[in-house]
Amino acid sequence: MTENHSASQPQTQRHRVEGPQKHIVVFVLSMVLTIIAFAAVAAGKVNKLFVIFLLLGMAIVQAFAQMAFWMHMKDRGHFFPIIGIVGGVFVVIMLVALALLWTWW
Amino acid sequence: MSAHEHHAGALPPEPEKATLEGRNKILGFWLFLGAETVLFGTLFSAYLAFRNSVLDGPKPEELFQLPMTFIMTVVLLVSSLTSVFAVQAMHRHKTGQMLGWMAVTIALGAVFLGLEIYEFNEYAHEGHRFTTSAFSSAFYTLVGFHGGHVAFGILWIGLVILQILKKGLTVVTAPKVYVSAIYWHFIDVVWVFIFTVVYLMGKV
Repeated sequence: MTENHSASQPQTQRHRVEGPQKHIVVFVLSMVLTIIAFAAVAAGKVNKLFVIFLLLGMAIVQAFAQMAFWMHMKDRGHFFPIIGIVGGVFVVIMLVALALLWTWW
Repeated sequence: MSAHEHHAGALPPEPEKATLEGRNKILGFWLFLGAETVLFGTLFSAYLAFRNSVLDGPKPEELFQLPMTFIMTVVLLVSSLTSVFAVQAMHRHKTGQMLGWMAVTIALGAVFLGLEIYEFNEYAHEGHRFTTSAFSSAFYTLVGFHGGHVAFGILWIGLVILQILKKGLTVVTAPKVYVSAIYWHFIDVVWVFIFTVVYLMGKV
């Protein structure tokens, strides 16, 4: 593995092949969050609002981890992909808020 | 088929980004995913607006079976991991391994799709059809649209496998592998929100 990692290194140095460890960590994290989510709902009789926020929070953490590592969004050169997805998510938040406000309040 | 794992020296370390065309393909695909996010967002907002409008049909909490949804979630999550392994094998220029992981990915995708078809069939028998209520229409549109994406992904990755078998792993075919893997992860991320917002929040 490359140990010194200076900016002046040629292409081949920067493009060292990554191992599967990080991806397996993301997988285990996703599994754990999924199990907690299902268990929280299966257990029932907990504060409803608390469970909903817990579920949403864990989904967002899981989605972030998968997008950062599995979809390589944490890697350099992903400025425009981030702009694209953040723009999309921004519209989604407005759509969901609008739908909920119009229908239920 | 090119099984030359050791003398693939001509191929750069990240073959998907070696050409401008490859890089543009990936960038263009990300912008498409931004649009896909909005598309799924509209379906999610419609579902959230109508999820209590059940008329005489079954309510979400009567309908959904958590064990089934959990199995589907695990299957799709594992398929997303095998898709990561395919891209990692590609970065090591191990074409055979890469094709193997891609095949595992589409096999798991097919299992997921089979379970979803079984699930929808069960619901239909319980009187939860597309036209039963606003809830059922919104449900089938959102979850079915995701299922359609899975079906398309299976077809797409399958065709990429066939093309790699024919042409080998090159700077032209590598971006296709990479982009189809990104698509597959995106489907999995959308499913995270479907099982959370539709299934789990429907049971809370």
